[in-house]
Amino acid sequence: MNVAWWCSATPGQVWVWRYTPIVGVWLAALALGLGFLAAHRRAGVRPARRDTVRFSLGVIAIVAVSEWPIGQLGTGYLATVGVARWVTITFVAAPLIVTAIPTVVLDRLLPVDGAGGRRLAAVTRWPTALVLFNVVLLASHLPLTIDSLKTSQLGSFAVDVAHLTVALVWWWPALRREPDRGALGEPARAFYLFASSVLMFVPAAFLTFSPLPLYGLYELAPPLWLGYDAIADQQLAGITMNVVGGLVLWVVIGVLFLGWAAQQAELDAAERRARGRRLLSPPADRPGSDAPPR
Amino acid sequence: MGTLAAGPGAGRRGPRTMTRPTRLVASLALSLLVALPVAGCGPAGPTATSAVGLAPQPDGWRGLPLARERQLPDVALLATDGSPVVPARDLVGRPTLVFFGYTSCPDICPVHLATLSSAMRESRVDHDRVRVVFITVDPERDTPERIEEFLAHFDRRILGLTGERAAIEEALAVLDLPPATVDGEDPRGGGDLIGHPAQIIGFDAEGRARRVWPFGARRADWVVDLPRIVAEWS
Repeated sequence: MNVAWWCSATPGQVWVWRYTPIVGVWLAALALGLGFLAAHRRAGVRPARRDTVRFSLGVIAIVAVSEWPIGQLGTGYLATVGVARWVTITFVAAPLIVTAIPTVVLDRLLPVDGAGGRRLAAVTRWPTALVLFNVVLLASHLPLTIDSLKTSQLGSFAVDVAHLTVALVWWWPALRREPDRGALGEPARAFYLFASSVLMFVPAAFLTFSPLPLYGLYELAPPLWLGYDAIADQQLAGITMNVVGGLVLWVVIGVLFLGWAAQQAELDAAERRARGRRLLSPPADRPGSDAPPR
Repeated sequence: MGTLAAGPGAGRRGPRTMTRPTRLVASLALSLLVALPVAGCGPAGPTATSAVGLAPQPDGWRGLPLARERQLPDVALLATDGSPVVPARDLVGRPTLVFFGYTSCPDICPVHLATLSSAMRESRVDHDRVRVVFITVDPERDTPERIEEFLAHFDRRILGLTGERAAIEEALAVLDLPPATVDGEDPRGGGDLIGHPAQIIGFDAEGRARRVWPFGARRADWVVDLPRIVAEWS
């Protein structure tokens, strides 16, 4: 059986529906899992069930799109699957992982006033995160990057790691709740995500509207079936990035915004209730009142 | 966001750096990088070697010029409708692009034909201006119906030719191309792979071979060359 460490494209290699294990993916998943457990152990806390489930789902998403067949199809044969991999890593795996790390683990391992904590805060500050995410997004979708890096296992691995890393950094200010670690307040986080969604449409538009295939890798790949043109594949890739990526992002924006709105409504109601109680209570019982009872 | 579940060690340890876990993860990552006993991703061996376009020639063409003169072969072939075709006689009068391949070909043939057909549509070069010819190197398996069905995936106006094996081999020899050979079993099943020339050969309206486009030619290359073929070879 043929085994690969990480999936990369081999120009001219005929696609065959025969399982090829990608061992690096399983080792990377193991490393992530052990890292999660080790971090909790180091911090002296037991992983919460909800965090474990989220983290595991994030890692499963990475494995699913990096193992055979999706990993191989996306790296060497179909641009659409390649973009779907990016969407999954960026919009599914990364937010699950970001929200699976409890504050207490961060506080104990990377205290805000420590060197590590300061470095983390610097990287995850929203302007830095926004720039990093978009620079990597654009750079990693350049034809030169795809055609050169994805033809080697190390290059392909580097691209995937870069995608996951900047996605984690990018989600951080939007999903974390620690203001001292760069987390955005409401409704700024929704606008932050919205700004990112606008920039994401640039490479998506290039993919959708370019009259010629941008990537030699996919254009010259042996076809999986006859009649499916590289241009159609590229257009579908652009639509996938635009629609699927955009849809997931807008759902998150909607959830965050509705959550914030509900929170505001609850605060308003509580405030009204408190005001009503104050008005109904005798003046002596009102907090802050020094007037003697008459 | 993560909820806290305090374990037995909670509170006993103060804030600490992530030195050990980080080292653990870093070691694992390093192991991944070092332990690269790498084979390819798929079970089938590569049959082509290039994934980049052609470099521009000094004269601006992307197709490569030919070192020695060759003519359209003077051999008797058959079109898919059964009519006889002698390339040296019947394929002159307008520029012609000739490709030798076979319909079971999993890689080079469909990619070359899809690329060329798509580029012709993109650059609005009609088949009335530039003829495209596909000559099978696998006449035993490639029946006229099968050739027609195969070419319909790219463009029905591509002229499909077959013939006696001897005639096809003679055509290859006249063009200084290597003969077709059995290249092992098709990894997808269904017979043998055939080794065959991977280039498209361009002939001018008088039947003289002018340039070749090896496998790796992209649409971006063809949209540069097709208008020049029309302008300079007609």
